[in-house]
Amino acid sequence: MAISQVAEPTVENLHNTPLDSPFNIDSVLEHLAHWLPAQGPIKDFIHHNTLHAVQNHPFHEGVAIAAKMFGARSYLPLSDYQNLYQEGRIKNHALNWALAHSELSDTEQLALKASLFDDDPTGHYPPVSLANHGIRNSWLSQIEVDLAALVHPIFFRLLGNFLDQGISRWSLPKPDEHFWDCIVRLTHNSLIPLYPLNEPEAYDLLNQSPDQVIQICLKKIVGDPELYEQYILEMLLAHPGWSGMVHVIEQNPNILLLRRDITLKEIIAVELVLELASLNRKKGPQFPNVMTFPLLKGTPLLKDGGIKPSISLRLKVWHEAMEWSLHSELLLALKAKQAEAPKSKAIPEAQALFCIDDRECSIRRHLEEVHPSIETFGAAGFFGIDFFYQGLDDAYPVAQCPNIIVPKHLIKESNTKANLSPKSKTLKLTNMHFSAHSMFKGWLYTQTIGVGYAAKMAWDVFRPGSKLPNIRALSEVESHSQLHLLRETDELSPDGYLLGFSLTEMADRLAGLLRNIGLTQNFAPIVVVIAHGSSSVNNPHFAAYDCGACSGKPGAPNARAFAWMANHESVRELLSERGIEIPETTRFIAAVHNTSRDEITYFDPHLLEEHPAPNLAAFKEAMGTALERNARERSRWFELAPQDQTNEIAHTHVKNRTMSIFEPRPEYNHSNNLYAIVGRRQLTRDLFMDRRAFLHSYDPNTDKQGDIMARILSAVIPVCGGINLEYLFSRIDNSVYGAGTKLPHNVIGLLGVANGVEGDLRTGLPAQMVEVHQPSRLLIVLEQSSDILDKTIAKLGTLKEWLDNEWVRVVSCHPDTHELFLYSANGWESVSLPESILVPESNTSHDIFLGQTQTIPVHQFIRSHA
Amino acid sequence: MNGLILSSLGLPLLGFLLIFLSHNNEKKIASISFWLSHAMGLSIILLLVVWAVAGFPQHEYEWLTLYEVEGYSFPLLFYLDKIGAVYLFCTWAIFSIIVKYCRYYLHRESGYKRFFLTIFSFVFGLNVVILSGSIDILFAGWEIVGISSFLLIAFYRHRAQPVRNSLRAYTIYRFCDIGLLLGSWMSHLLFHESQHFSELANLFSNPEMPPASNASLWLVSTLILIAASGKSAQFPFCFWLPRAMEGPTPSSAIFYGALSVHLGVFLLMRTTPIWSYHFITRWSVFNIGLLTVIIASLSEKTQSNIKGKIAYASITQVGFMFMELSLGLENLVLVHFLGNAFLRCYQLLVSPSIVVHLLRVEGSTDSDFHLPDQSRFQFLPTSLRGILPDILKNTLYVFSLQEGNLELLVRSVLWTPLKRVGTLINKTNLWLKLLYSFTGFALIGVLIIVSGSTIQYLAFPVSILMVLASLSAFSQKHSPFRVWNAIGLSSSLAGLAVWLINPTAWFDVLIFASGIVPAWILGIIVLTKLLKNDSFSNSPFVYRAFAETQPTLSLLLFLSFLGLVGFPISPAFLGEDLLLSHASNHAPWFALPITIAFVINGIAAARIFQRLCMGQPNELNTVDGHLFKKRV
Repeated sequence: MAISQVAEPTVENLHNTPLDSPFNIDSVLEHLAHWLPAQGPIKDFIHHNTLHAVQNHPFHEGVAIAAKMFGARSYLPLSDYQNLYQEGRIKNHALNWALAHSELSDTEQLALKASLFDDDPTGHYPPVSLANHGIRNSWLSQIEVDLAALVHPIFFRLLGNFLDQGISRWSLPKPDEHFWDCIVRLTHNSLIPLYPLNEPEAYDLLNQSPDQVIQICLKKIVGDPELYEQYILEMLLAHPGWSGMVHVIEQNPNILLLRRDITLKEIIAVELVLELASLNRKKGPQFPNVMTFPLLKGTPLLKDGGIKPSISLRLKVWHEAMEWSLHSELLLALKAKQAEAPKSKAIPEAQALFCIDDRECSIRRHLEEVHPSIETFGAAGFFGIDFFYQGLDDAYPVAQCPNIIVPKHLIKESNTKANLSPKSKTLKLTNMHFSAHSMFKGWLYTQTIGVGYAAKMAWDVFRPGSKLPNIRALSEVESHSQLHLLRETDELSPDGYLLGFSLTEMADRLAGLLRNIGLTQNFAPIVVVIAHGSSSVNNPHFAAYDCGACSGKPGAPNARAFAWMANHESVRELLSERGIEIPETTRFIAAVHNTSRDEITYFDPHLLEEHPAPNLAAFKEAMGTALERNARERSRWFELAPQDQTNEIAHTHVKNRTMSIFEPRPEYNHSNNLYAIVGRRQLTRDLFMDRRAFLHSYDPNTDKQGDIMARILSAVIPVCGGINLEYLFSRIDNSVYGAGTKLPHNVIGLLGVANGVEGDLRTGLPAQMVEVHQPSRLLIVLEQSSDILDKTIAKLGTLKEWLDNEWVRVVSCHPDTHELFLYSANGWESVSLPESILVPESNTSHDIFLGQTQTIPVHQFIRSHA
Repeated sequence: MNGLILSSLGLPLLGFLLIFLSHNNEKKIASISFWLSHAMGLSIILLLVVWAVAGFPQHEYEWLTLYEVEGYSFPLLFYLDKIGAVYLFCTWAIFSIIVKYCRYYLHRESGYKRFFLTIFSFVFGLNVVILSGSIDILFAGWEIVGISSFLLIAFYRHRAQPVRNSLRAYTIYRFCDIGLLLGSWMSHLLFHESQHFSELANLFSNPEMPPASNASLWLVSTLILIAASGKSAQFPFCFWLPRAMEGPTPSSAIFYGALSVHLGVFLLMRTTPIWSYHFITRWSVFNIGLLTVIIASLSEKTQSNIKGKIAYASITQVGFMFMELSLGLENLVLVHFLGNAFLRCYQLLVSPSIVVHLLRVEGSTDSDFHLPDQSRFQFLPTSLRGILPDILKNTLYVFSLQEGNLELLVRSVLWTPLKRVGTLINKTNLWLKLLYSFTGFALIGVLIIVSGSTIQYLAFPVSILMVLASLSAFSQKHSPFRVWNAIGLSSSLAGLAVWLINPTAWFDVLIFASGIVPAWILGIIVLTKLLKNDSFSNSPFVYRAFAETQPTLSLLLFLSFLGLVGFPISPAFLGEDLLLSHASNHAPWFALPITIAFVINGIAAARIFQRLCMGQPNELNTVDGHLFKKRV
């Protein structure tokens, strides 16, 4: 068998338009639109599967289809895997496992195995693709017209100005004006021509409707109706960022702060007219159309029955082997753990409820190491309370929950200090550098205080620490404000929201969350609810650094709401009716963990004065130490951080990073995320998981029907799976799936970033966020028996696709025996791991991570604790 | 003080060389750039202190004379005065900030070494410009700044857009070099030995006796003004500046926010005595500034991206500086320059913060667009009153959106006609070409014999051929060899023409040829090696990315490109100056064709270099045996 063996599973025709029916743009757009990226405006960053378009295919097949569609890489270079093998991170047993799961015959497996260590520097290169080598390429290769260079700058300018959310001073659209009408207005009602639409044929075409224009232009430009669909798709994929943005806005106009009426159909019509005008101009009205060009052999064609994926088996097996090696590191550790007999639990001194986020994985470990009698829990960081939130400083309400939920409630923040006047909207002098001020004001400013910026710039660069004036991260909320949580009337707000929650609604939400995480008894005297956010400066991707379960916002309002509700006497009464008895002495305290600075802010101190919590001082002290250790653990990834440092120096260093305007990596976010574990903390408490695990608390004993697990998974799969896959694909092909390097990014219309002033919007994650990421799919370990999980999975609905097609892997860990079963669409497969491999052991986190610059396998702590 | 001038110039050059010789090791490059940027800073500060202690003199320093023949000398001449001091201070401040900034900002970036190399060569060029004592030296620095700018815009050479935009900026630079080249030639012609900046003012001190006629002063002022407008992105060249924001943000900040964009202002200040002598030229400087202010501030209104907005705001302020200069407010301009440079640099550096700022601080994001006073339309008939404001509004918006259509204007006036002629030449059959040129020669030869004049007039057809060869190179897309040979031919014809004009200047022509011919030959060799087994003409428009697949050959191609365009590392730079000076003495008309040829050759050579060396390597998995491998 040849080394370049390729598996070619057949895929059904991706478009089912009967060829003889007339071309219908609406039905064509319906199946074309799902190829576009689903990333919205940059102010909210919602992680999602980059390849959602092929999620209905098995993982490897979907990736291969996408590669042929977008012209992207599917795997890491072969040598990367081989190096990992040399370093011992890819184990032999995993290679064998991957071969055995490759659905090849024995002889084929042997042949493949023999070729695994060959050199192949080009095997991971992207294939010939529709986006790069389709029929639109003929313009360049046949008649030397670079349509992209002619049309894109003009088209992007029009789109950018139409959609702009506040950068330009003059906004383009009139209220409720559609994109098409706006272009027609500018062309027909202006005294100077809008180049190149002043070309007579294009000018006249604008009198027609977009539908007609599309038909006419396609006939003239393409000619053959069989190629229309492909031509449009190629045109949209030539600028996926803008097409995707328009599609997202069309689907959900409220995603913009200022509503804009725009549809894919309109932008297609405008772009086609621009192309027609440019072609007329370059080649005369009788320019040859696409149909007349000879097609190069191998040009991908949609009409030939869709795209046939070709999977490089060698890379696929290597990739699966890498994933299985990494996954089995955790599975071995879980299996090795003796199932402890449930002890009668003593009441812990304090309990802390964290977000599920993988960045909280290490802080929980450090906190428990510092103070063993603190118990920690994990839950999705919106803490089960979904609402729109409008803070004191916020111009607009924002959703504080995963994007799958549409909240109905609005919570506003108000100030308890009466003497603070409402913020004036006039610009202060300290902010003047944000508006460009071209004319006389600019003349005045540059003449007078311009020189002062030399000092400011020097200060910011040489002594980072003073922040950009007046920009506060949401996570640094003042603790003197108040949330209006309790609903006073049932009247809807002008926007149609309920203002606050009723007591029953509060109790519903609290009970839901407490049951999810299995905290229904044994309440400690203090329960600290810790949300997280991240502060950074000079970072347009700031939303991607905040809480993924809050749609890219810091979860502070949710934590405050949770604590307030749980402290409320009437709510507690309602809860006790439902069997959750919170002792009167227990206080809930809200806090927010700043993941980039490793700092914690405790909210509502005035409430604490009324109800002092005795253990809080000890908790704060433990937390302080834990944060410093955490900072040091994180610093091991920062090459330019001072090495051989103390915890304090490391902590100062990470704080400085977040305030330096020249630091493109305030933190590495979810880099190297790998595991998601839903189960009791007991299961993972003795494990060092290198900040790679999303941890959700769950009590397997209270969930005999799998309902709670289904609720948890319906948040874990899209949120954690989305984060995982977005990191994975942005890392594997940063130029196609990711946003490229941050350095030349230019903010366009508050919608996104582009390279230069006339580039396409970049989707996905920038290189500086994913460069150290080890791209592997998420392993979700569920501490529940496979029988009950079958019931759970049946309840998952469309999310089952993620599991069946292996976009995430699921393992069941039996709560009593710790037997492991791997899920696949065919059923549960018992996981057998070689006995010979031992889980590395250590005493403290410190000993494990010190001096390490790569990812670290799961370690087991040798310690006995209560 | 002289030593300090030299060390301020030498240290960035040393930095460049050290980085060039070091391996692509981030730590090492960072420490070299750290130490040398601070050493340079120290030297600049000491220089300024010494200069201040000496009582702010207008200090001139002639280091050595590079070349001297009768009636011509090329001294390495440096000059420091108030203007230079302000610019030098600004360079030091911004450069040391940017170097420190980039240490972290560019961490792990694949082009780390390339970036610092270009930044150092930029600063070297900048210091040469600032400290130059004559137009010739200024021109050398000017070229270095231009090439570094060209390289930095195309820093992300994998993408076609930065590469295209860097060529766009380079063509403008190159075109404006016409201004500077001819300007320097005219100053040779007009002021003879006294082209020292230090002596310019004295020349004009006697209002009764201007050093030259008004017409020639007007011409030289216009040339200088063209050069200044191009570099400072003034009317009609505003459009290139926002499009140049393609490199890493700090490089955009230092080049297009702070330093490079103010070089036009510097040039004008250096040559104030020339252009301010007559009110017409003053008035044109004022008007250029005014037009720029109007167009750029309108264009800024509809920029929906932050860097473009800052670029236009900056252009507007430079327009104000032009106006202030024309009013003679030199000190005000210096303050204005400092303010604008620091402010725009800072704005660009923090431009990524705009999202947070607008969302969380300003809140209000909609900005409406009204014509201020509707009442002024009252006199119109009712039917018009309804539509006219709307039409005006649309018109204004379209004007602003298309940035005053300056790019179309420049392209259709400057480049399209040249390209047409070139295409025509390329279409003509080789034999026909030979026939035409032979007939031309014969005719002129007959004329010379008949009229009994000298052989000198043969230079006339030769220079026409030279321009035609350049144009042919300019519009040739398919064969790099033809472009290269056409450029070489054009340069050789330039030498031939000068020799015909002045047969005694054979040695100077030899100096010129010693720069051009090796570069030409080296280029041919490199091209042959690069394009072995390759049918280039089958694949128009594709960037070949040899810089990554064949780095050594690409470097050699770059060097031969520099040699061929007369970059100040090659004797051809001096040669160009010599040729021009001969032209000035014997046949002034010759200056025009030779300058045009130089400029167009430069653009054609840059394009070939880009086509071959930039772009993304062909990374395509062609397992299934497609034809694409050859094409892409």
